[in-house]
Amino acid sequence: MPAQHSTLLGVTRGLLWLMLGLVAAATVLVLVVGIALIAAWPDVMVELKNSKVFVDPGIIQSQLLWMMAVLAAILAVAVYVLRQLQALVASAATGDPFVAANARRLRRIGWGLVAAQLLAIPLHMIASSVAAAHSEFAGMGGLSLNNILAILLAFVLAAVFEQGAAMRDELEGTV
Amino acid sequence: MAIVVKLDDLLHAKRMTLTDLSERIGITLANLSILKTGKAKAMRFSTLEAICTELGCQPGDLLVHEDDG
Repeated sequence: MPAQHSTLLGVTRGLLWLMLGLVAAATVLVLVVGIALIAAWPDVMVELKNSKVFVDPGIIQSQLLWMMAVLAAILAVAVYVLRQLQALVASAATGDPFVAANARRLRRIGWGLVAAQLLAIPLHMIASSVAAAHSEFAGMGGLSLNNILAILLAFVLAAVFEQGAAMRDELEGTV
Repeated sequence: MAIVVKLDDLLHAKRMTLTDLSERIGITLANLSILKTGKAKAMRFSTLEAICTELGCQPGDLLVHEDDG
C-alpha cells in the first residue's frame, strides 16, 4: 500500500476515535440534562426563563424530555455508523477492501443515516415548538440536504463495492 | 464442468511435473494446481500461450469440451 494511503487511513482512524469520544461526551451531557429535567425541574425552569430562548418554560418539561430521548437515539445511531466506518477503514488497511462484508457495512451506514435523518424531523418539530422562532435552538434538526446526499452516497458506494467484490472474486479464479 | 483441462495428460506425455512447468513459464504452482484441478473460473490468453509454447501443443489439446450428461 502506498505510504500516503496508510497515512490517510491512520488519520481517518484517529478522527473516528475522536468522533466516538465526542459522541460519548454528548451522551453524558444528554443524560445529565435529562436527569436535571426530572430531578431539579424548578431550578431548570428558572434558568430557562432567564435565557429568554423558550416560549413558555412552565409547560415544556415533557417536550424537553422527549427531545433528550430523541437526541440519545440519534447518538446511538451515530455510534453504530462510526463503528461500521471503523470496520471499513480496518478492512481497507489490510489492502483488500473489495469484499462483500464492506458492501454490507456501507449499506448499514446508509440505513443508519436514514434513521438519523428520520429522528432529526421530530427533533426539529419539538425544538421549534418550544423555542422562540429565530433562536438557534429552534433550528435544531430537521431535513438536511447534506444528510440526504450522504445517504445517497452510502448506498451508491455500497453498490460500487458489491460490483468490486464480484470483480475481485472473478479475478481470483483467473489463472 | 463441460470444459476439461487436460494438463495432467500433457505433462505426463512430456514427462514433466507441474513444478517444472511452473518454473519454466513463471506461473505459480498454486495457480497451475487450480487450473489442473478444474477449479479455475477463467484463463488468460498469456497463460494459454505460455503453456502451449512450453508443452508444444495446441489450445485444443489442453482444453477439451465434454458433455456433462
